[in-house]
This record gives sequence, structure tokens and C-alpha cells, in this order.
Amino acid sequence: MSFWMTLWKWLMIVSIGSFSVMALWVTVQGARDIKALLQSLRAGHEQSGENTKE
Amino acid sequence: MEQFEAIVQGTNFTGLDWGIVVVYLGLSVAIGIIANRYIGNMTDYVVAGRGVRTALSVATLTGTELGLVTVMYNAQVGYLGGFAAFHIGLFAGAITFVVGLTGFIVADLRRHEVLTIPEFYGKRYSKGVRIYGALLLALGGIFCMGMYLNAGAKFIVGVTGLPMDGAMLNFVMVALLSLVLFYTVLGGMVSVILTDYIQFVVLSLGLVVTTGLTLYYISWGDIVSVVIAEKGESAYNPLGEEGPFGATYMLWMAFMGLVVCAIWPTSVARALACDSERTVRRQFMFGSLSFLIRTIIPFFWGIAAFAVIMTIPELKDAFHPGEETANGVDSLFAMPVFLGRILPVGIIGLVTAAMIAAFMSTHDSYLLCWSTVLTNDVVVPLAGRKLSQRAQIYITRAFIIAIGLTILMISFFFPLKQSLWDFMSMTAALYFCGAFALLIAGLYWKRASSGGAYFALTAGFFAFLGFEDFRRVIFYNVLPISDGSADGLMALATSANVGLTTVALACIGMVIGSFLFPDKTGHNFQENNP
Repeated sequence: MSFWMTLWKWLMIVSIGSFSVMALWVTVQGARDIKALLQSLRAGHEQSGENTKE
Repeated sequence: MEQFEAIVQGTNFTGLDWGIVVVYLGLSVAIGIIANRYIGNMTDYVVAGRGVRTALSVATLTGTELGLVTVMYNAQVGYLGGFAAFHIGLFAGAITFVVGLTGFIVADLRRHEVLTIPEFYGKRYSKGVRIYGALLLALGGIFCMGMYLNAGAKFIVGVTGLPMDGAMLNFVMVALLSLVLFYTVLGGMVSVILTDYIQFVVLSLGLVVTTGLTLYYISWGDIVSVVIAEKGESAYNPLGEEGPFGATYMLWMAFMGLVVCAIWPTSVARALACDSERTVRRQFMFGSLSFLIRTIIPFFWGIAAFAVIMTIPELKDAFHPGEETANGVDSLFAMPVFLGRILPVGIIGLVTAAMIAAFMSTHDSYLLCWSTVLTNDVVVPLAGRKLSQRAQIYITRAFIIAIGLTILMISFFFPLKQSLWDFMSMTAALYFCGAFALLIAGLYWKRASSGGAYFALTAGFFAFLGFEDFRRVIFYNVLPISDGSADGLMALATSANVGLTTVALACIGMVIGSFLFPDKTGHNFQENNP
């Protein structure tokens, strides 16, 4: 039983630790990605608008 | 009922916490209105113009697949199964990482630039397979989602201490659904991704803080002592003979790990929204941590709830009454009741907002996914003429509302007689057993044919045997066998056995059907690929 107890305890410690680091990165970088996404959507609309005019 | 009322009155939820929740919900509505300005065509509406980068894709994948219902049923599994349940998370995380590393299924699908999985069926097999596969996908998906509202409402009632009468539960369900419908209908995938990001931030904070407070309230050592005393070795060893798992169940969970990340349409939709195959791979490698966390943390909350409930006499009597008394409180309520007691004012509002965030991020993505499939893969192919982008968006919006009303009716009236997890896995199996065969064979086997695809999709109906009431009727009333034999079959037909058998039948059906009915044009990918 000690094998399983040790395995599950370390799985929990490692997963929460690494998830916390990833969450910080996603929070910071994700905000930049949103900005880029909205810019690309806006650019796509402007381009399709110009194509329609042509 | 009175006993339950007394238990939930112990919550720390106050007006301040309601304020936090209301502010958060208001923010989600505002995002829906803003996102609507960025929707120009169906690609924007369904896959956000395929412009999503890595970090945002991880946020939206996590937001979608870490729902309140996930937290609820996983907490229930942890409550009932103990630490042994952690093997499910280990499989889910490891398999998702391997899928990301290799690009297995998801990167290959992204390369074909389809909007949905059935659209791939249409390119690889035929128009008929596309429509049939789309209908099965929507049917399985909508039924699977049927109990989400109910579970979400139970969490809110359990944690806030609202009256546990039918009217209040129904009111909470209607309110939650209305909110999600509002911003999903307006903003489509752009709205979903923006709210997923905010939900990811709130949810991550809520998960980590709550786990820390749980360990502050009851130490790891105390949890271990109680769990071992009550459940014995099976609480740790998933292969333990007296536990609820075992080797077959573990194999089924390993398969489910692959299904959830690489076959389930909402996960695949996230891959299809990425800006490149490289982003897809990175999304799944980083996202593997989310697939690990979405099980491990709720399992732990459920286990901690079990430890606390077993040490407080009033709670123990309520959840585990003696044999001579009435049924105990539903174990789904254990985790929210536990959190309602240990989390302090302010934090409990944040955690509830996080859980509502989880609820909404799953619902919006699922609603969008099923409605897109019905529009793109049923209505458009059957229409016989090209529908305008605007018409497709309107039809998708109409489907979103119709599906929302359908799941509301299921949550109101369907009597759930088995565990939530079993119900969900069996309804979903209607779709994913066939889809597994179609995707694998379609992507990696040149001889796979439309005939094989029909066989494989139809095999998915075997998953209905996973429902206890259904197999009871079949074994005792339909099959010409003795009651003793029916008893034996009932014991054999566990959800794991039925699920694995259905997958095997679908794969066999694909192989036999492909050999018996090869496509006349051979490998027809190019012919159907515009």
C-alpha cells in the first residue's frame, strides 16, 4: 500500500505545482494572444470589406 | 429534505459572496456583447477565424473540458473510490501529453482545415456518412449534456445554502442556461474563447486556493487516517479486489483518456481553431496538465469531503444512515456541502464564481459545438443549395436555443438512476465508439470505406446496454434466457465492459464493412476534397 500512497501523494504535489506555473504563463501570454486574435479578426473584416468594394 | 436543509444551513456563503458572483456574471454578459462585433462569417463564428495562439488555446481547452459537472462527478468518484481514483487523472494527463507530442488524430485533422469532425467524414467517406455521423454526434452529445444543468444547480444550492426545493433548483437551472445562451448566441466562438480565458484565470485561482484551504482545514495525515480506516487498502490500490475499479475499469479509463482529448468534439474543436499544427501540438502538451488537474483536484476535494463527513456525526448520519433508515443524501452533494463549511466569506464567493465559470465555459462550447455540427453537417448538405454565411449563423443560433431548451427538459424530467459519470460515459459512447473507428481508420488506413463507416457508427448503439434499466428489459424480458442467466449477464455488463465491447464492435464493423463494401473510387479522400 505504501507504493500507491507515495505515488498518489507525489502525483498531487507535482500536478498542482506544475499547473500553477502553467496557469501564470497562460494568464500573462493569453492576454497578448487575445489582443492578436481581435486584431486579426478586425484585419480580416477590413480586407473582406475592401474586396467587396473592388 | 429537512435533514438536507439543516446540513446546507452550515454554509459560510454571505451577501458579499453573492456580490462577487453577480459581478462575474455581468462581466460574461458584457463580453458576449463586445464579441458580437467581431463576427463577420461562419469561420469567425465557429472557429474564431482560426487565429488562436498557444496560451489562449490552452486556456480555452481547459475552460471547455474543466466544467462544473466535471468537478461534481469527479468529486463523487473521489468520495466513493478514494485515492485509487487518481489513476484516472494519471491516464488522462499522460495520454493527452502523448497526443500532443505525436499530433495523433488532432494535428492530422487540423491539417484538413475542417470546421467539424463530421465534415471530415464527408471528405474522407461520403455525404451520407457525414450526415449520419453528425446526427449521432449531436444525439450522444446532447443526451450526455442533459444532466449538466442539474448537477450545476445542485452545486450552487449545496454551496450557497439556497432552499433545496424543486422550484429553486429549477430556477437556478433556468437562470444559468439563460445567461450562457445569451452570450453564446451573440458572440459564437469569439465570445466563447474570450470568456474561456477569464474563466481559466478565475478557475485556476479558485482550484489552487481551495485545495490549499482544504489542507489547512484538514491535514493530509488526517485525511489518510480516516480514508484507510473506512475503506481499507482499496482506497489506494486501483487494482484492489474490494475496490470499485479493477483492471478492466482501468483499461476503459485509459481509452476514455484518449477519447476526451482527441475524439470528443469540443476538444477537437479547440484544435481546429488553432492557427497551425504546431500550435495544436503545444496546446495538447501544455493542456495535459489541465486534463490531469481536472480530475486530481476534484478527486481530492471529494476525498477530503469524505474524511470530514465521516468525522462529523450529523453529516455522517445524513450521508451514511443506518440500513434501517431512509436513503442518505446524494453523494453528489458531499463536496459542495463540504466547501460551504470550510471556505471563509469572500473566498467562497470567488470559488463559486470559479465554479459557475467552469459551468458556463463548458456549456457555451458544447452548445456551439452541437449546433455547428447540425448546421454544417446536416442542414447545409441536405439543403441542396449554397446557404449564405448569414443564414448559416442564424440557423446555428436557432439550434443553440433549441438544444438549450432540450437539455433543460432533460434536466427537469429525466430520472437519473445511476451515477452521473456512468450516465455521461454511456450517452457519449453512442457517439465516440463509432467516431474512434472512423477517425483512426479514416486518417491512417487507406482501405477504410463508407460501408465500414456505417457499420462502425451503428455499432455505437450497443452502448445503450450501459443503461441499467435498458439492459434489465433486454436481459429479463426480450432475450429467451433464464433469470439465472440474466442475473449473470447483468453482473457482467458493467459500464467498462459494455464500453470496451462497443469500441471493439465498432472497429470490427469498420474492418469487415470496408472489405465487404469497398468504395468504388477506392480511397476517395481526394475526390471528395474540394
